[in-house]
Amino acid sequence: MTPAATEPDDDNSVKMMDYFMQLEYREPLCPVVRRYADQLLEGRLIGHQCPSCGLVYLPPRGYCPICVVETTDADETVLSDRGTVTNYTVVTPVQYYGQHETEPFVRASVTLDGGNATMNLQDLVDVPVDEVRVGMRVAAVWKPKGERSVADISNRSWGSAEGCIDGWRPTGEPDAPAEQFLGKATF
Amino acid sequence: MSRPAAIVGIGQTKHKKRRDDVSLPGLVREAAQRALDDAELGWTDIDAVVLGKAPDPFEGVMMPELSMADALGAVGKPIMRVHTAGSVGGSTALVATHLVQTGIHDRVLTVAYEKQAEGNAQWGLAGGRSGGMGAGGIFAPWMRSYMARAGAPEHIGWMVAVKDRRNAAKNPYAHLQMPNLTIDEVKDSPMLWDPIHWHESCPSSDGACAMVITTEDGAARSPHPPAWVLGTAMRSELGTFPGRDPVRPQAGVECAHLVYEAAGIRDPRQQVDIAELYVPFSWYEPMWLEGHDIAGPGEGWRMVESGETQIDGSFPVNPSGGVLSSNPIGASGMLRFAETALQVRGRAGEHQVPDATVGLAQAYGGAAQYFAMWVVGSTLDAVDQKR
Ligand SMILES: [Zn+2]
Repeated sequence: MTPAATEPDDDNSVKMMDYFMQLEYREPLCPVVRRYADQLLEGRLIGHQCPSCGLVYLPPRGYCPICVVETTDADETVLSDRGTVTNYTVVTPVQYYGQHETEPFVRASVTLDGGNATMNLQDLVDVPVDEVRVGMRVAAVWKPKGERSVADISNRSWGSAEGCIDGWRPTGEPDAPAEQFLGKATF
Repeated sequence: MSRPAAIVGIGQTKHKKRRDDVSLPGLVREAAQRALDDAELGWTDIDAVVLGKAPDPFEGVMMPELSMADALGAVGKPIMRVHTAGSVGGSTALVATHLVQTGIHDRVLTVAYEKQAEGNAQWGLAGGRSGGMGAGGIFAPWMRSYMARAGAPEHIGWMVAVKDRRNAAKNPYAHLQMPNLTIDEVKDSPMLWDPIHWHESCPSSDGACAMVITTEDGAARSPHPPAWVLGTAMRSELGTFPGRDPVRPQAGVECAHLVYEAAGIRDPRQQVDIAELYVPFSWYEPMWLEGHDIAGPGEGWRMVESGETQIDGSFPVNPSGGVLSSNPIGASGMLRFAETALQVRGRAGEHQVPDATVGLAQAYGGAAQYFAMWVVGSTLDAVDQKR
């Protein structure tokens, strides 16, 4: 719990006080997410490729919800840690308790080389926000091995690698043609 | 066999940034009392209560459906809670409707609310972590995709923002009252989540909405004209999966076709008089016009540009002022549903669309993955009159 500021009203009377409650708990990761997390610690991104439709799930779910078939270790595939920015936005941070961002920051979708797997809500590093563009080639910036953490990986993670990857850095390669991606959002 | 259901009572609070004159139970009771007054019914006439609101962390009040039973006259009666993120106000009204249609109850009170000032939705959405980007940050890239896909010029978003705020100025319950907002003011307002400007974004509101839904017999005894439920549909999909199209989610397409079919609508653009679509950020108006096949690909923004979606246009969208003008999150979906019922009852006041007999309401939530829709009419054969 965190006591926070009181906010005086127009007539200077205090009618509300912020009082943040937090409950910390750890849930066991299901085996496929556990393996995803362990591989992240090793510096590898893995997914499951559905044996029926061929789509790649990152992180693996242990099933393809579209085909309603199970996926197993046999369907595991190691994914590239290089890719292309296929969508992004520049976020003006809203200030709330626990928000440390103060300046506009980028969140991008990165489609990994060699398939359909896309990582959403990714941070880009070493590039000014006004130079980010669709088609930009990027590579993952892994934290040093001993500094990686999977504490924030949950069974519901949307492809997050936070704690292991600091963000994605432009590779300097020529852009992939933006027309290939504009208008074709995926999530 | 399903039996007809009708809306005979509608109530809402004044929506504003902070309703510190009422408690949470006081807020919901205010809307519920107004719905009962509209129906000329008392608390004892109600058989069951269906409640909806956004996820509990937004206010930090867990399971309010239990603590609010007293304020909602539900002690000793069935009360249930619906959870479908931002679409919840719509789904809640649909669950109440289905309880009547299936013959389980005869008079159901349905209520939805949010008291954003008593919590911190941004903190809740971010799970207390840094780097929270809000709903706008999630949706913004999909708007960029829509613009590229449809070839839409950027002033379309500004036009929607101005239209909805002008409509809200006719609605005394609406939070934002900006009758003189101009395109330039929208364009020059701060960029929150590229391409969404400050004025293209919904406010944070306290407010509640309630409806009384009943049978044909109940409707016959209603002191004011009822609105008839002509079709309902709910659909959902995963928030993320490879190949998912978040600009035109499949669940939204299917939900729309289901509700049109249920109501006997072949051409929504011709057979619907007024639509209330969940538009928390300006670009969602053209996106849903296309995403629900009201307009063809690339035609949604043209409907905006030509003025078709204005209150005096051929397909008015959000005459209430919409989510862009009032956003008590849990209630925002139900307000869309309630406005269509008000319109076909001819009781919308200054924002009444003349001769509206068929209304379409939609609410969406989550990562644009939950959908709820209904079609209401002034009569049970209102759609048939439009062929
Ligand atoms: Zn599959």
